[in-house]
Amino acid sequence: MQSATAFHLKDVTYRYSDDVCALDHVSLGIEEGESVALLGANGSGKSTLLRVLDGLYFPESGSVSVFGEPLTEEHLREEEWAFRFRRRVGLVFQDPDVQLFCPSVFDEVAFGPLHLGWPRPEIRRKVAETLDLLELSHLRDRPPHRLSGGEKKRVALASVLVLDPDVLLLDEPTAGLDPRSESQLLDFLIGWSDGPKTVVTATHDLGGIADIANRAYIFRAGRIVTEGTPEEILGDEALLRSTNLLHVHRHQHGPETRHEHPHRHTHRDHRHHDPGI
Amino acid sequence: MHIPDGYLSPQTCAVMYAAAAPFWWVALQRLKRSLSARMVPLISIFAAFSFLIMMFNLPLPGGTTGHAAGMTLAAIVLGPWGAIIAVSVALILQALFFGDGGVLAIGANCFNIAVVGSLWGYGLYRLLAGRATLRSRRRVVAGAIAGYVALNAAAFITAVEFGIQPELFTDASGAPLYSFYPLSIAIPAMMLGHLTFAGIAEAVVTGGVLAYIQRVDPSLLRTTARGSGDSDATRTTRPRRLTPLWAGLAALVVLTPLGLLASGTAWGEWDNAEVTAEQAAYHIRELPLEDRQRLGAEFGRLAQNSESPKSIQELVAAGRAVAEGELYEAGDIVQRQLAVLRAADPARYPQIARMAAAIRSPEGLSRWSTVWTAPVPDYAPSFLRSEAGGYVISAAVGAVLVGLLAWIIGRILAGREGTTT
Amino acid sequence: MEKTLAALSGVLERSLHGEAISQRPGLLQSLDPRVKLVGLLALIIASAASRSLWVVWAVYAAGLGMALLSGISLGVLLRRVWLSTFIFTGIIAFPALFLVPGRAVWSVPVLGWAVTEPGIRSATFLISRVLTSATLALLLMLTTPWSHVLKALRTLRVPAVLVVVLGMTYRYLFLLVEAARAMLEARRSREVGKLPPAEERRAATALLGVLLSKSLQLSGDVYLAMQARGFRGEVHTIDEFRMRSHDWPALGAMLGAAALGLWLGR
Repeated sequence: MQSATAFHLKDVTYRYSDDVCALDHVSLGIEEGESVALLGANGSGKSTLLRVLDGLYFPESGSVSVFGEPLTEEHLREEEWAFRFRRRVGLVFQDPDVQLFCPSVFDEVAFGPLHLGWPRPEIRRKVAETLDLLELSHLRDRPPHRLSGGEKKRVALASVLVLDPDVLLLDEPTAGLDPRSESQLLDFLIGWSDGPKTVVTATHDLGGIADIANRAYIFRAGRIVTEGTPEEILGDEALLRSTNLLHVHRHQHGPETRHEHPHRHTHRDHRHHDPGI
Repeated sequence: MHIPDGYLSPQTCAVMYAAAAPFWWVALQRLKRSLSARMVPLISIFAAFSFLIMMFNLPLPGGTTGHAAGMTLAAIVLGPWGAIIAVSVALILQALFFGDGGVLAIGANCFNIAVVGSLWGYGLYRLLAGRATLRSRRRVVAGAIAGYVALNAAAFITAVEFGIQPELFTDASGAPLYSFYPLSIAIPAMMLGHLTFAGIAEAVVTGGVLAYIQRVDPSLLRTTARGSGDSDATRTTRPRRLTPLWAGLAALVVLTPLGLLASGTAWGEWDNAEVTAEQAAYHIRELPLEDRQRLGAEFGRLAQNSESPKSIQELVAAGRAVAEGELYEAGDIVQRQLAVLRAADPARYPQIARMAAAIRSPEGLSRWSTVWTAPVPDYAPSFLRSEAGGYVISAAVGAVLVGLLAWIIGRILAGREGTTT
Repeated sequence: MEKTLAALSGVLERSLHGEAISQRPGLLQSLDPRVKLVGLLALIIASAASRSLWVVWAVYAAGLGMALLSGISLGVLLRRVWLSTFIFTGIIAFPALFLVPGRAVWSVPVLGWAVTEPGIRSATFLISRVLTSATLALLLMLTTPWSHVLKALRTLRVPAVLVVVLGMTYRYLFLLVEAARAMLEARRSREVGKLPPAEERRAATALLGVLLSKSLQLSGDVYLAMQARGFRGEVHTIDEFRMRSHDWPALGAMLGAAALGLWLGR
């Protein structure tokens, strides 16, 4: 694992079932140290792609390599390889309730190091350090169901950052957050991604992408539609509209005026009330 | 039906912990070695769901309400061993957090509801559902009946545990120290409520949720629907085939200390084939990838050098099974061809030799039986030897036997139906 | 529906309450969770095994004392222990007064039923034991954060898989309870008046079905999240307890009291 390429995907196809094709012959490369955004509406395949990159789903055809080595189920079955990979690549899930499955914040953050076989004193030290970094130390013994949305998200991030990964995969990092928590999180990520780290963010929220990505791919129905800098992409209204990232909204400004105007899809405008569990 | 502390003597509680322990042990072993690590979150979340079921009040005919315990539903979705853990965990949490059921009585509650209930529910469901398709109406009816009977089986055991207390534990003046109703009162009192309200609630929930699952995601029913005729049902149920082995072991563990079954009888022999196959599958699963490939290749080479056509065919199949990760198929062949494999030259077939060495079946079982027989005659606590202990143990054993019987009948019938296809 | 909603809300409320108490300063809160687990369990066993009512009452008094020193008010015990004990066990124990055979001490006017002496003793035994055991168990859970209880179980050699499953179950219980509550409340706001029982039964089972399929989907995702952080089927836990100077005497006192109780009540 020394190559300058973090990920290389060639012709990757992944299907959930015969008629649901989540990724359709996707090829792309991500260099080490890059910050890449995967943009697309819900169901466009970007979350699936993150799970492929994290070695959780394995493509039906095509190849994935990570740091120059093939990322396969066989490789991940070998403990040593798997531990090395899990340490270098971390995924923050969209739904923090999925990611926070331990009885307390401390246990949550310690889960990764513990299962990757770190020595106990090292785990204690590193967990304390990470909790400090994300300003979570006061919540150390709090059970996850007693955390606010923003705190949950931060703990989920801490549970991955504690491993000090080289690559951070983020699935909708700002979904469901109030504006204040959102900008807090973005500030943190911007600071973190400035270094030699690789960050891949999947999102349909165009709000912060210019800050956290220097390159973006647009997805539609499991295919890459285009690739470019965030500025290029944000400027192309027709493209955004055709990929459902921008849509016309009717709403009322004030008591009288009704008008229509194109709307960028950002969470600052829409609160997503997820009744799911 | 959750027994609080104070109703059962500590001796009874200890016996009930001991009765539940082998089932927990086996279930946890299965969970640990289960070929799919996803059982850990699955069982946890299902346990949370069981907890939830116990809180749902259902309006029942006659204007009353009742709630279900959900062990039959758990057994249908998770299989009996998963259900034992899931329902036990739900019961433990109820005892700890909500004082619903005592702490010392956890063993008894888990044995009655999680063990006896799950096994009855599972056995009867398998028996009644037969090979019906996943969406068939028959499965709903089977689930409802199984739920009804399982709950009543659990209630019956509970009543027996209550009922023997005044016979066994009284103070000097003859006043009962714990639960005071004799069997003649405890059984009818418990059964009246459960045969009517609680049983109906259980049947409604089991059947109703089953019907709902059939509509939205029938694949959930596959785990316990072998031979249902749905195309890929058999593939996903592969791990289930080990259940007779574990049931046998569990029965052995419970029964040997009582001298009800001598060790090394038909039970022991019956288990050996399965034990061998399981050990082989486990060995192969734990091999690093390269070694696994080497093992597959060695099977191929050994086949070429083999004389008997039967062995050639089997060894080739074993090589393929190893390569494709069909570990249970490979395990079965290894078990049948064990003599041939043991005879192979270790220098030329190092992987085969390693695997053969890793399989130690016959001693395993006899060791078990001595572990469990040894303490009883001499240094057992006095209550195990007393008349009182005898009653308690007999009740526990009766429960196990009845549960196992139903379950084994279900398996035999299911097995017979499976072979005729 | 209403009853179920109340039960669901009760779960959330109780857990919240427990967390609040475990944060307060107090005797039991200051002890190592392992000491509490072992010590209180020993006392429960002593009260369960005793053939003397005095021992049961003494253990109960010790429990009350510990509750007061830990900032748990009698009101809490009244609500959480007394009510349910007297309603449930009281109903069961009442007929014993007449049914247990023995010397009659009093007979009910008009009906002429005889209350027997062993009957009174038995009923008192049952209620006292239920109260004592429930109180001590409640003390443990109220004064100890759940994650510490789990770790204490682990240091007492309860299998790691079981401890992890217990932890995950508790964690996702709240998610499911919240989901169930949201769904029930949504139903309630849509429907005016009472449904016929058959309809309501169908609605309840459909709701459980929805929760079940959500649960299973959730478990699949949680499994991926566990894998992503190195889970390979074997679970590990980390504990961080260190016995402090006052933990040893506390453990000694509880075990000593339990042993004394066992001896006196034999």
